[in-house]
Amino acid sequence: MSNLSDKQLLRELRLRLEERKKLDNEMKELSKDFQGVTKKLKESEALKSHFISNISNEIVNPFTSILGLSKAILSVEKNDWKKVVSMVALIHSEAFNLDFQLRNIFVAAKIEAGEIAPNITKVNIRSLVQTVVDSFNIISRKMGIDIKIEFNIEHGFGKNFYFKTDSEKLKLVLSNLLNNALKYSYKDSQVVLKMWVDEDVLHASVQDFGTGISEKNQKIIFERFKRLDSGINSINRGHGLGLSITKALLDVLGGDIDIKSQKGEGSIFSVQLPEARNIVEGFSGEGNDVFFDDDDEIF
Amino acid sequence: MENRYLQHFLYPSSLFVGKDPYVIKTILGSCVAICLWDKKLKIGGMNHYMLPNWNGNDLASPKYGNIAIDKLVEKMLYLGSDIKDIQAKIFGGGELLESATGNSNMIGERNIRVARLMLEEKKIPIVASSTGGKRGRKIIFFNDTGEVRHKFLEKKVY
Repeated sequence: MSNLSDKQLLRELRLRLEERKKLDNEMKELSKDFQGVTKKLKESEALKSHFISNISNEIVNPFTSILGLSKAILSVEKNDWKKVVSMVALIHSEAFNLDFQLRNIFVAAKIEAGEIAPNITKVNIRSLVQTVVDSFNIISRKMGIDIKIEFNIEHGFGKNFYFKTDSEKLKLVLSNLLNNALKYSYKDSQVVLKMWVDEDVLHASVQDFGTGISEKNQKIIFERFKRLDSGINSINRGHGLGLSITKALLDVLGGDIDIKSQKGEGSIFSVQLPEARNIVEGFSGEGNDVFFDDDDEIF
Repeated sequence: MENRYLQHFLYPSSLFVGKDPYVIKTILGSCVAICLWDKKLKIGGMNHYMLPNWNGNDLASPKYGNIAIDKLVEKMLYLGSDIKDIQAKIFGGGELLESATGNSNMIGERNIRVARLMLEEKKIPIVASSTGGKRGRKIIFFNDTGEVRHKFLEKKVY
């Protein structure tokens, strides 16, 4: 070091200063991140406690209705049997809602526990879509909303189209999107579910003509426990998990979701789902392969 | 191949701890996998996370290192481990994406940093590791012996 010329010394100093500046900047960035996360955590904690009180309502209310309605059915006079039909319809819609909410909550718990894995099979997309839409039939009819399916996939055997993916997860994704679309639609309107394939990617979009979502809210709707209080048909129904679950499920399947919406004009949620590959490089899908080579290092 | 082993393929964002002898396999790019092994009970588990820290927005899943590490340790303790008997091996954290984009966000390196920091905090010793570099890895973990077999992959994986 003693043999450095002044010039070299200066350069060395400048280099070190720059290095230092870089580190300082990184520190600043990090502490900014940190503050942001702390704030988020606080928010999230508050939302979580809110969530628990919400969720008990979500579960208790449908149960109360179901119990009350079934009790009423038991005491219906024989000649009044027509009343029963409408009460059974109510029971169905309450039970459906309960089932849907619980399914979501259990999946969220599974995702947070790290116990979620894709379960890939060849899925008949047309029949899956039909099943999901049918499950909303009673509810959509009650609201006078027509769910229109535009199935723009032609190939495959006859009218069937098979796609390698996880059928349960895809079902839940579509159900959540439809549920939201119905929730934020006006009475006597329409929800459009479009399906198409582009190369090896399955696309689904769900469009409603309801309240729409402001740009500011579009950024936060995927956050957990977040709910927008602008539902028309239901006052504060839901737990704010639907979209974060949807996103996490798509994550597991390598897919993505985006949203186009304008306040007052409705929303379009679009999902892209790549076809699952059977084999991850180096492993077979089954896992029953010979899985070491001689050149494995051992730790 | 020893037949007494059950098998588990570990997907990103998930974790697995087994009481029975398992081979747990995974593929890593910039993700990090931590193998924890209890030398007394001869049990172990592994996580596989993609990003260092939870952002407070998504579900609090083990996609994020800070959550994945806590949950993995928690699960070991739940199965009866004493934290003093647990040791760790860490793998992954490569930088597979060329920083052609200009901003190399060093996900791999940050993933490893979280692992080292949190394990040190919990006083879990890291007895072996293979981290960084530009290639993906294939990891096979025997959760009864604690042995890990490791191979670099030539082709790019996620």
